[in-house]
Amino acid sequence: MTSAAAARRGGWPRSLSGQIALLVALALLVAQLINFGLLWRERREARFAQVTVPAITRIVDAAERLAAGRGAMLERQRPRGRVRLISVNPVPTGLPRAADVETGIAAGLAEAGVEHGAIVSGIRRFDPDDPRLTAMRPRRAERLANLGGELVVAVELPGRGWLTLRAPWPRSERALIARLIAQTLILYAVVLLPVLWIGRRVTRPLAELTERARSFAPGSTPEPMPERGPPDVRALIGAYNGLSERVTAMLDEKDRMLGAIGHDLRTPLAALRVRIESVDDDTDRTRMADIIEDMNRMLEDILSLARLGRPSEAATETDLGALVDAVVEDFRDLGHDVRFDEPPRIAMRVRPTLMRRAVRNLIENAVKYAGAAEVEIIAAAGRVAIEIGDRGPGLPDDRLEAMFDPFVRHEGSRNRDTGGIGLGLALTRAIVRDAGGGVTLANRDGGGLVARIELPRG
Amino acid sequence: MADMADIPHLLLVDDERSIREPLAQYLTKQGFRVTQAGDAEGARARLAAYAIDLAILDIMMPGEDGLSLCRHIRETGDTPVILLTARSEETDRIVGLEMGADDYVVKPFSPRELLARIKVILRRVAAGGVRQHAPDAGAYAFAGWVLKTGERALVDREGVSVPLSTGEYNLLHALVTRPRQVLTRDQLLDLTQGREAAAFDRAIDNQVSRLRKKIEADPRNPALIKTVWGGGYTLASEVTRL
Repeated sequence: MTSAAAARRGGWPRSLSGQIALLVALALLVAQLINFGLLWRERREARFAQVTVPAITRIVDAAERLAAGRGAMLERQRPRGRVRLISVNPVPTGLPRAADVETGIAAGLAEAGVEHGAIVSGIRRFDPDDPRLTAMRPRRAERLANLGGELVVAVELPGRGWLTLRAPWPRSERALIARLIAQTLILYAVVLLPVLWIGRRVTRPLAELTERARSFAPGSTPEPMPERGPPDVRALIGAYNGLSERVTAMLDEKDRMLGAIGHDLRTPLAALRVRIESVDDDTDRTRMADIIEDMNRMLEDILSLARLGRPSEAATETDLGALVDAVVEDFRDLGHDVRFDEPPRIAMRVRPTLMRRAVRNLIENAVKYAGAAEVEIIAAAGRVAIEIGDRGPGLPDDRLEAMFDPFVRHEGSRNRDTGGIGLGLALTRAIVRDAGGGVTLANRDGGGLVARIELPRG
Repeated sequence: MADMADIPHLLLVDDERSIREPLAQYLTKQGFRVTQAGDAEGARARLAAYAIDLAILDIMMPGEDGLSLCRHIRETGDTPVILLTARSEETDRIVGLEMGADDYVVKPFSPRELLARIKVILRRVAAGGVRQHAPDAGAYAFAGWVLKTGERALVDREGVSVPLSTGEYNLLHALVTRPRQVLTRDQLLDLTQGREAAAFDRAIDNQVSRLRKKIEADPRNPALIKTVWGGGYTLASEVTRL
């Protein structure tokens, strides 16, 4: 589940199978804890009945007998299981106390009217190497060792010494916890592994489908994704395959249509272009040729914009500095004033012809509206910016964003002298976005506009 | 009319009468003898019947298209070919030139531009000069560089493509297709302007110095594009067609 681990944020798995697994794990844990609580209570009750109550009864009984003067035999009794009377407090300090035993004895003695001093108790770990064990019968010794503890209780009887009792004490908490942990782990293995497996079976095709949908490039015609996973997921994959097929078919249709339109419109334009050569007036002829040239460029722009969804050019490792330089050089060759310093070498993957066009459109605008352009490449870690600045009239701030919409031109510039139909910036933006970047326009300090192409650098 | 044989005979093939007829009229006015054909079949018949000096072929025609006709012409003779293409896509250019066309114009074209190109080719043929119709390779390798004609880019040793301006590309193309030949400034101007007449009035020297900055290890001491004293420039490197 490396992908689930990678998708973690703040320790919370974000993937579907990770979340399901976590939820199941938490539910199992809660169930186990409730289980543990119930078991714990039952154990305590059992211990109370089997150990605590007899211990209290014996002590109280012995104390009563002593008080009645029948206690001589106590001193001779065997050390285990019976009550003895000794002279010093046998309970070492620092042992955990058994509070219920102490209160039970106090209550019992009070009821019997026996006078007593301090009541102390302690639970001692039963050392498996205890010498007493070796003296016992093996089965008994084993049982004792398994219980793991020994209760020592002593009641001070003023003037007589300490009435003491030792009894096996089940130290069951640890065993219980260990068992619970083992049980939980086994449950996890039994339940979580299948859950994760099912999760992967669902999420792996889903992840692939997501990736496919994300990287869906209408230009390429990838193999349909194999249908795998549970039936719901298969159905989804099938539906996606159908969808992408229809989208591709629609785009193909659009391309064919645009190609036909382009051809059909160019033919009369070409015919017109040939015919105007017979116009004798030079000024008239030049003007007509310009109009035809304009119309042709609009046609080109519309076709390019429409085709951008399926770029025919592959992205290649290209020196972006040289690319901008080449565009600038073409403008200089035409006699335009474009400033650009020696570019740094910036190798990155772009579609060169399209990117050239994006940069060319921006420089063209600057040259058209301001008569000159200043171009700069700013390379930073992870991204590159190409800035094309001018000292023209600029634009109102609230119009800047709208300039990128197709067929939008700045008010007042919609006349034949400046040409175009407002597709240049739309094309540029489409090209730059296709390359994973963005393009912005801004007014410059001191007047003029600056267009900025930002591209990510792999 | 006694000099009929001296008048260059053009074959104009286009299925669009609206283009073909006025164009034929224009070219006739410019002093050519023009024979028209509306499809490839008619063109083949006329090619067989006349001594055609140059053929102008529309690429997109119903039936057999211009590219196929161009291949036929190339296989059967030496007649230079100019293609009329409706698309400006690079693929068409490359394919056209691989078919052995001498040049191409993109519709809508200026008849004057077409005229200029016709004249360049006829002059070259008359001078017995280097024919351009040898299929243009898609790429030329020289001194660790590869010049790709389709993308108009240079690819360096690391595989990074270095885009060239139109002027730089034309100049370098002229040089790599004629390695170790001395090309005068006038020749270079002629060769480079033949294709993209639009964007080219800067001095050849300027373009050479820009190219040197891009491809020479030491631009001040050029080892690839060498200046020939009193002559012009030469590409001092072996060139491999790829």
